[in-house]
Amino acid sequence: MNALAFAWRSLVRQPARATLGVLGVAAVGALLFDMLLLSQGLIVSMRDLLARSGWDIRVSAGDLPGRGGRVSAATSTAERIAALPSVKAALMVRVANAQIERSGGGPPIGDAPSIGGGPPIAAVFEGIGGRSRHREPIAPPWTVVRGREARGDTEVVIDSAIAAAANLQVGGTITLRASCVSDREALPPARLTVVGIAEFPFAGTNEDAIGGSLDALKAACGGNVGDEADLLLVTSVGEPAETAAAIRAEIPHLNALTNDQVVGRLQQTGFTYFRQISAVLTTITVSFAVLLIAVLLTVSVNQRLGEIAALRALGFSRWRVVTDVLSESALIVGSGGILSLPLGLLLASGLDRILKEMPGIPADLHFFVFERDALFTHIGLLVATAVIAALYPMRIVSSLPIAATLRDEVIG
Amino acid sequence: MTPGSLGSRLVLLVLVISAATAGAQEASPPDILISRQLAAERGLVVGSIVQLAADAAGTGARTFRIAGIYEPTPDPARLGAVPREVRLHLPDLLDVTRPPGQQPGTEYIANINIALVDRADATAFSRDVNARMPGLIARPSSEAAGAAGPFRVLERFHLAIAVVTIVAATVFLLALTIMLVDERRETVGILRLIGLPVRRVLVQVLLEGVIVAGAGAAFGLVLALLSEGLINAFFQWRYDTALVFVRITRDVALTSAAIAIPLGASATVLASWALLRRSGLRLARR
Repeated sequence: MNALAFAWRSLVRQPARATLGVLGVAAVGALLFDMLLLSQGLIVSMRDLLARSGWDIRVSAGDLPGRGGRVSAATSTAERIAALPSVKAALMVRVANAQIERSGGGPPIGDAPSIGGGPPIAAVFEGIGGRSRHREPIAPPWTVVRGREARGDTEVVIDSAIAAAANLQVGGTITLRASCVSDREALPPARLTVVGIAEFPFAGTNEDAIGGSLDALKAACGGNVGDEADLLLVTSVGEPAETAAAIRAEIPHLNALTNDQVVGRLQQTGFTYFRQISAVLTTITVSFAVLLIAVLLTVSVNQRLGEIAALRALGFSRWRVVTDVLSESALIVGSGGILSLPLGLLLASGLDRILKEMPGIPADLHFFVFERDALFTHIGLLVATAVIAALYPMRIVSSLPIAATLRDEVIG
Repeated sequence: MTPGSLGSRLVLLVLVISAATAGAQEASPPDILISRQLAAERGLVVGSIVQLAADAAGTGARTFRIAGIYEPTPDPARLGAVPREVRLHLPDLLDVTRPPGQQPGTEYIANINIALVDRADATAFSRDVNARMPGLIARPSSEAAGAAGPFRVLERFHLAIAVVTIVAATVFLLALTIMLVDERRETVGILRLIGLPVRRVLVQVLLEGVIVAGAGAAFGLVLALLSEGLINAFFQWRYDTALVFVRITRDVALTSAAIAIPLGASATVLASWALLRRSGLRLARR
């Protein structure tokens, strides 16, 4: 009988302790796996989200898009950027907070249905205006899933959450008050027609979004909008890094970052907390697992000293009994490790839901993202755990005095 | 609301320093405070004369004198970002940021912080302001973060991790106690044979469990207190902040003990129960 089969029988003989050991490793392993997914999850997810948006470069006034003020003289800036040879298109994005009224909404326009009563819906209004070199159509930073794209200053697209909350269909009208300068503005309401239902990948989990042209945003803000943009999105025809450098050379006071550079900046600032907490918890989890499995194996070996001495007396080599202990450790950690994967994925989905309640986190961004490297690291750490945890019990069985132990066990 | 009514109120702002140190362009430039990080980064000291403008081009730049360097109030929401901050009197700030053509006194301000004589009046005061001044929103500071503030979310995240850790620890604890109790089956068998009832043995096991769990909880708390300083020192160094990351409060200590001791004692009793159901003879048999 080989060492693994022998270790299996030893475990089966004590089902309660073996099951609890495996379950313990599964729980600790699940947490370890989640921490490994968390360590790079945000970065991987953000990189994917930015790549899917179709825009190569983000131009802003601050260090990072959305931070540090607005781009002034946005229209002429967009035109200058669009005129660069390596630029395909530039899109101005202006964001404002809006309140969609639900108090009846007034009479419907034409045959269109209007919103029923209720408290106002808080939403983010994204107004866009594009410039392209060859007047090619420019894709907005949202995807229309029903209806069509908004045009002019009276049309908008809304997300499905607003549509559901306000019982709105394509063709309905909304009355909203947008605040382009300050949230405390008391502006007259604007009535806009909903021409589409769209998905906004960068809208927060708890954030409802509306999209339209810059003119529609200006109408919603009562015209109280300067020629400013929160962000300029740029598509390049060549290498994004070279285009970003060309934009920085053209307009030195603005920051032009490629998607990779944005991810790099976020890695250094905003996302660092989760990497740190992941590193700390990974260390604690692995130490915890090593300690507990080592104690389990040590106590188990101490209880079977007579049995092990008898096996040695029967002809089992020192190496063989050591391998038995190592196999036992491998079986506990291996079984627990296999269980930890589905358990970890389940736990990750729950933890992801909790963390995505943070304000401003895009709905499509995930904190825990499955990666092959994380799985390999997980397996590597579990193998190391199995070996390290078995070291002390292996030493006990390898240095066991056969005759003295048998005498003690029989006489004692 | 006019800026004059806000007089000396300080407002936090980040502006572009167009020249690190400029010559004294005004007879007596107004005073400003700058954050420690900004001072260190730009080599500024108390008494330095600087120019501030609302844009990088230096449009409408004004001259100020650095009257002091301050440690920014730790802001967890800006963890990882270097706080390059300037504090100046509100009228000075409005002079710098007012767009051309806008009349003084027509600017917006974001917030007004109000200190009440009695903090307990915060809710009633907010209600009064909301009722009397349409267009303004007043909220007690305790509610300002909202239910989904980042740190409430992090608190829930940490709680979820703590629950998983406790579940894993409990499973291991049960496995260990089963083994330890099994090791003592002969002793328990003899105790039963000399006449000690199951209940008496169980009380003894429970007391042992409480003592061991209590010692473990105390050791854990001492370890947590020792590591508290280390963890805070590391993260404060890493993020260059005065923010406290770990704080072992009385409530945290009591909660830990309230979970650990009953859990440890229960695991011991649970593991012993299966053993104690057997007869004394069976237990004492080799």
